[in-house]
Amino acid sequence: MKNLLGVWLSLAASAALLTGCNSASESTGKSPETKPTANAKRPAPPKDGPAIEGETIKLGLVASLNGELKPWGDDSKLGAELAVDEINKAGGINGKKIELLVEDSNSKPEQGKTAADRLISKGVVGVVGEVASGITAQIADSAYQAGVPVVAVGATRTDLTDIGSNVFRVCYTDDFQGPVMAKFGYEELGLRRVAVLTDQKQPYSQGLSESFIKTFQKLGGTIVKEEFYNSGDQQFNGQLTNIKGLNPDGMFLSGYFTEVGLIARQARDVGLKVKLLGGDGWDSQELISGGGEGIVGGYFCNHYNDNEDRKEVKDFLALWKAKYSGKLPGTTMGALAYDAVNLMADAVKRAPTPNAKGIIEALDGTENFHGVSGTISLKGHQGNPPNRALFVEVTASGIKFRKAYEHFE
Amino acid sequence: MTAGLDASALPQQLLNGLMFGAIYALVALGYTMVYGVLKLINFAHGEVFMVGTYTALFVSWQMGYFQGAPGMTRATSPAVLLLMLVASMIVCGLLGVAIERFAYRPMRKQARIASLITAIGVSMLLQYGGALVLPVSPPRSILEQVNPYDGNLSIPLKPRNASLAASVDKAQAEEKLAALALEQRIKQEGVSSEFDLSEEGKKIRAASQAAAQVSRDAESRYNESGMSLNVPYGQGIMFLATLGLMGLLTYLVMFTKTGRQMRAVAHDFDSASLMGINVDRIVTFTFLIGSSLAGAGAMMCATFLGTQLTSFVGVTWGVKAFVAAVLGGIGNIPGAVLGGLLIGVAETLVVWAGGSQYKDAIAFVILIFVLLVKPGGLLGSAKVEKV
Repeated sequence: MKNLLGVWLSLAASAALLTGCNSASESTGKSPETKPTANAKRPAPPKDGPAIEGETIKLGLVASLNGELKPWGDDSKLGAELAVDEINKAGGINGKKIELLVEDSNSKPEQGKTAADRLISKGVVGVVGEVASGITAQIADSAYQAGVPVVAVGATRTDLTDIGSNVFRVCYTDDFQGPVMAKFGYEELGLRRVAVLTDQKQPYSQGLSESFIKTFQKLGGTIVKEEFYNSGDQQFNGQLTNIKGLNPDGMFLSGYFTEVGLIARQARDVGLKVKLLGGDGWDSQELISGGGEGIVGGYFCNHYNDNEDRKEVKDFLALWKAKYSGKLPGTTMGALAYDAVNLMADAVKRAPTPNAKGIIEALDGTENFHGVSGTISLKGHQGNPPNRALFVEVTASGIKFRKAYEHFE
Repeated sequence: MTAGLDASALPQQLLNGLMFGAIYALVALGYTMVYGVLKLINFAHGEVFMVGTYTALFVSWQMGYFQGAPGMTRATSPAVLLLMLVASMIVCGLLGVAIERFAYRPMRKQARIASLITAIGVSMLLQYGGALVLPVSPPRSILEQVNPYDGNLSIPLKPRNASLAASVDKAQAEEKLAALALEQRIKQEGVSSEFDLSEEGKKIRAASQAAAQVSRDAESRYNESGMSLNVPYGQGIMFLATLGLMGLLTYLVMFTKTGRQMRAVAHDFDSASLMGINVDRIVTFTFLIGSSLAGAGAMMCATFLGTQLTSFVGVTWGVKAFVAAVLGGIGNIPGAVLGGLLIGVAETLVVWAGGSQYKDAIAFVILIFVLLVKPGGLLGSAKVEKV
């Protein structure tokens, strides 16, 4: 008897250990419930941060140059380098050139932290990056301790900017993205019974599913089931068979393109014929090669689109083509990283004091900054600019722009 | 949210689990065979799998299946698939032999821990070295057009209610009509997509959506009136090929001279060499077979499941297959198969029971439980290590 008890105890302990590991490596250290409100006070960094010294202004970029998120990392780097080139060609900022230091996060939160620490020890006065929310949380933690400003490129998880008053982004948050997708699905696609598939390893996916479900139910729709998977999974037949039995009319996939493509393909294989809907985590050419015919007809929410008829977009694409031998950016992260670096440089120019603290102040006071992805205002928004959301459809001949939504509360 | 278990989905889920478990088993065989003869855990096995996926990708490119290739259709001959399979098996087999020859053999006379660390080193070398030279983006996955086996094989268990079939046909016809009306309206208004329609047009769109809903409900009712097992052709082929390879391996190990030598080496390495068995040749042969099985599994996963390729793709597979091998009793060939199938089925059953968040944990929970009760694994013999 005693033996059996021991078995169960150790079993329970190991199960706790397993789950414990998971949340420790991924969480931001804050509960997902904390939503920033207009009057929420973000903690100021404990230190003042480095001053701008020497011949150049050192800015850091953390990007996933390896691993599953490489398409985003590569575009982030190209976009950031393009912005730095343009600024330096125009004479730099206050007579000083920008020096961009790039570190690889290898698509992993832990390595993102190491990368940020390395940049900070090299004396950067600002860090740009990352795209994945899980990685950005680690970067923001390191930068908070050192008093260095962070401008995230495509990280949309809402509570990221609660980490400290040094954290900003150039994209909308999941507090907007989730509801806007629920609205689009309910009103435009006519969806009423939706199944949700969440990547429980990604803070981004969990937060997005949560806000989508809340709004969709408020609009009057039914969530038939929320199923889970882990990034890196290859087989989703189990979840998809469960979902098929519930006869939904749509499926919301809040994860990254790395798994969404596979899910779409396997959904088609098990005979699940529903409308697919997802967030900006879908944005990549790999979505199409991975999802094949299964992903065609799916809709996702994005930050900007190449086909938009705006001067900023056209200028940006012309510069990009000139520098990168006529190719177009593969994902929107090229444009967002370009915006993030320009926003940071703009703040360096306007900084009341020539140090990291001054740059943070200037960033917090940004108003009507004309970026490629839209007009960015940070003043009074706790680091979260109220940007537009664009809906695009995946078609056999590429990703097509369909409908835009202005920011709403 | 609907809770509760859907018993009618159970046979389908069990089948899903078996089909997936077979691939775990195939990869686990490599671990268990190497451990059997060398008492070494070949941590680089997952990376051999990774190289197999890339070999299949490169062969598919050579055969003209790359993004944007002209005139690419689904109707290809199975010969392309066979070629990809054979190429993956050969490349992986040779890679396994090379790893053994240059990384493990020089370490064989050293303490066993030295080989173990070398194995981890080789694994990381291939992961990060691969990240430098292999294409990760874009396009990095094997296109689905290479797989001519589109669609599902439906095995009826209980016939569907034929009286509902008519209502499905009727609903589908109405859905088509409504979709046509919407299409005409879009053309008539001269807008680029359904989202720019006028209020009047949106009413037509709503009608089309409602018709689609009715048709979907009718089809679902019709499908649920009966019971059938769905096997995507690709995965069915994967399962059969896996069974075939396992049968071949059984024949090789149990009924050939080399197989008998292999079993002798596994039983007692030193005595076997004293009996005149060329142990180096047998070890090489073991790596060749184990690695080529991983190569076969890799090619099939990459082609039929559509796995996205990175140089780290072997890590998850390696860990799961390793667990399967230990669960069945490492060193024991039927044990690896049993372990793989068990993990595959356990994972899908957990998902079926509504615990998809515990899918990855279940393999380890079972492993811990089995090792506590039977330290040698399910079919392994618990030998106390002599110190």
